[in-house]
Amino acid sequence: MKHITKVYGSLYANDDVHLTLDKGEILAVVGENGAGKSTLMKILYGLEQPTSGEIYLNGELQHFRSPHDAIAKKIGMVQQHFMLLEPCTVAENIVYGREPRKNGLFFDRSAAIRITEELCDKYGLHIDPRRLVKDCPVGLQQRVEILKVLYQDADIIIFDEPSAVLTPQEVGELLATMRKLAQMGKSIIIITHKLHEVMTVADRVMVMRLGKYIQEMPKSETSIEEMSFLMVGRHIVEREVPPQETTGTVLDVQDLVLAGPDEKNILDHFSIHVDAGEIVGIAGVSGNGQSELIQCLTGLLPPTSGQVVLRGQNMAGRSVGDIRSAGCACIPEDRYLWGCAAKASLTETSIMAHQYKPELSRHGLLNSKGAKGFTQKLLNDYDVRNSGQSQKAGELSGGNIQKLIVAREMEQNSPLLIAAEPTRGVDIGAIEFIHNKLLQKREKGDAVLLISSELTEIMSLSDRIYVIYEGHAAGEFRKADATEEALGILMMGGTLHENE
Amino acid sequence: MKTNETRNAAWKGIALRGWQALRQPLVATIFGLLVGAAVILACGHNPIEVYKEMFEKSFFKPYYLFSTLTRATPIIICAMAVGMSWRAGYINLGVEGQMVTGTLVATVVALFMPGPPILVAIIAWLAGMAAGALYALLPSVLTWKFNVSMVITTLMLNYVANYIASYFVTYPLKDTSGDGLALQTPEIAAEMRLPRLSSTSTFNAGFIVAILVVVFMVFITRKTVFGYESKMGGFNPSFARYGGTKQVRVMLITMALAGAIASMAGSAEVFGLKYRYADGMLSSTSYAWTGLQAALIADLDPVGMFFISIFLSGLQIGGSAIQRSLGIPLEIATIIQCCITLFVSVKLVIRFVKKPKPAASAKGGAQA
Repeated sequence: MKHITKVYGSLYANDDVHLTLDKGEILAVVGENGAGKSTLMKILYGLEQPTSGEIYLNGELQHFRSPHDAIAKKIGMVQQHFMLLEPCTVAENIVYGREPRKNGLFFDRSAAIRITEELCDKYGLHIDPRRLVKDCPVGLQQRVEILKVLYQDADIIIFDEPSAVLTPQEVGELLATMRKLAQMGKSIIIITHKLHEVMTVADRVMVMRLGKYIQEMPKSETSIEEMSFLMVGRHIVEREVPPQETTGTVLDVQDLVLAGPDEKNILDHFSIHVDAGEIVGIAGVSGNGQSELIQCLTGLLPPTSGQVVLRGQNMAGRSVGDIRSAGCACIPEDRYLWGCAAKASLTETSIMAHQYKPELSRHGLLNSKGAKGFTQKLLNDYDVRNSGQSQKAGELSGGNIQKLIVAREMEQNSPLLIAAEPTRGVDIGAIEFIHNKLLQKREKGDAVLLISSELTEIMSLSDRIYVIYEGHAAGEFRKADATEEALGILMMGGTLHENE
Repeated sequence: MKTNETRNAAWKGIALRGWQALRQPLVATIFGLLVGAAVILACGHNPIEVYKEMFEKSFFKPYYLFSTLTRATPIIICAMAVGMSWRAGYINLGVEGQMVTGTLVATVVALFMPGPPILVAIIAWLAGMAAGALYALLPSVLTWKFNVSMVITTLMLNYVANYIASYFVTYPLKDTSGDGLALQTPEIAAEMRLPRLSSTSTFNAGFIVAILVVVFMVFITRKTVFGYESKMGGFNPSFARYGGTKQVRVMLITMALAGAIASMAGSAEVFGLKYRYADGMLSSTSYAWTGLQAALIADLDPVGMFFISIFLSGLQIGGSAIQRSLGIPLEIATIIQCCITLFVSVKLVIRFVKKPKPAASAKGGAQA
């Protein structure tokens, strides 16, 4: 790719960017959110047309009008958000778009299964072709995406933030898969901002910042420190969190139970407490009741039994509005499902749950000036890159919409903040920024409940850590006592005693 | 210099947004007219001449323009009722039933309530709005309590309303003084009627009511917390719920407003044009459905709905004009109208399919 430039309005998403990829190589493209990595890949995959610049493939000039053209030239992309038909089987998803047919007319299901099995054997990626996609864990769903791309016979495979949704074990498998594919002669581009993954898997690294090509180098000649310096444009300092006295309990959860569809409780007599001036982390492999816990605490789901005492008041089963006014704000785990509406403007996104404040409305009438001023303050203070308040939330990059949601919930200035996966899928600069904001909130003497599947995040920020396993609190640690091994064992359902 | 540049940029932004809002309906209209042209050709006429005649006799001659605006009045108001509920995510197909119920009640009050005519007229309108609102609340409560599909209940309740109204004008309310075959109520008192705005046609103050409803709609959608919350609920119900909006309350107010607005469409027709309620006068004219099409074409934007309602009304007026003068069937207008809606709806369907599912309701979580 030579001299690629892409302009949106007055914004240069890509500014004269070059990219080369050799056969059998893994190239990592790193950069902060909004650095233009995704735009560059969309151009390569034919989803976007460059404003200027050219793409050459094996020396030939290409014009990709749509992904069809790119797929025909053996370029495939594994999207960050999976494009799978959930109620269908793995095999059906893999052959979708180029189905084997019986008599040229009918879908040949057994052939589809056979094709899938052959693919699995060829690339050593094992999966049951008859399983329904919706029953597969996220890691397997991603495997289906990869197999789909391989079925299309891609030689160049683009991975867009592939590890954002995976557990640590799944990430390990994914990286191994990439290595194997590269050895088989596939060329791979991975977009990421997790630098230790880059160090594990990539051959070469290309850094982008603010739409521009910054530098590229072989992995062997660089380090995590150098890359993060190039990405952010400044050095990131290691954080020292000073210990702090806590003052009184803010949130006290006692014996919280949420019955599941079968015998098993989703939340099983779950008890924790969060004090003012501390960050309490909840570690766990996703799917162990974290989502339901958040929904029970914030009023989105009524718990079956148990108490959620917020500042002395039992709020279990009360409405979201009541719990919010009692002093709880929440950074939701899924920013697109709960945190915003894709078609809402940035103003509309920003004022949610603030709309009754006197500076934003009086007697049910919105104060547009107040709303605009408030939104501008959030956008400026939290460095949300935007093209104006009438921009739609769905048009912001993932990290930027996350920053806006964090801003909105921080500005509630509530005694309790529930932060669920606050940095999922955002880049180093934004992670550091969001972490600092959480620590500032703690310094102010507010309580923060941090629920995250990133163990490093939990361990670096939390004063106390609970482990959640199958809906109950499997263990409690003070920061000083917590080790990755101990947490890991409890997260997998083991007990510490047995292991000693 | 700098301010000039920013102003230019702002104007460009507005022009771009305007173009984006209008592009879809304009393209759809052109396609619709092309399909119509093909049908006219197939009937053996010259499409250009037919279209010239059609638009002359709907927009460009004063008499026909007034007819167009008169017919547009209930369509505009119905479009607003549709827009009110749809923008909040409630697919209300029952505007016709809400209109019929409200209008019947308004007519009854106007006919039988004693007192000074102006006061009675005002009470009649208000009573009609209350009845329309209640009739819209019925399916809302079913949705709230039993999670019944509002699409189905609102659609079916149209038939209920129409048949009940038919009963009343056939038996207890039937005007026995005039034509014995006509199923209609007696006329309302002359003092209650809306004044005419033109000496040569039936164009009346109902159109002003329609404009007021549009203004009200713009006000609600742009300036109120309720408008904001209902819009967010329409965009993404999970987001609205997470933000702590009282969704049941928003739904009930939304639907009550939609029903009240719908009743005004029929009241404008009775008090401004027909002076009585006649069987089928609101259903055979398809006001509610034309309003629905206008709302779809304008993508629920109040000002857009206003102009598109007038345009569709003009198509219908022009369509009957060419039937009279050129012998081309009235259905041409219907074909064009439906094609425009179809071409616009392609986009709309895609949007509804993509809409995120409200996650917790599937797990039996309470709505509030």
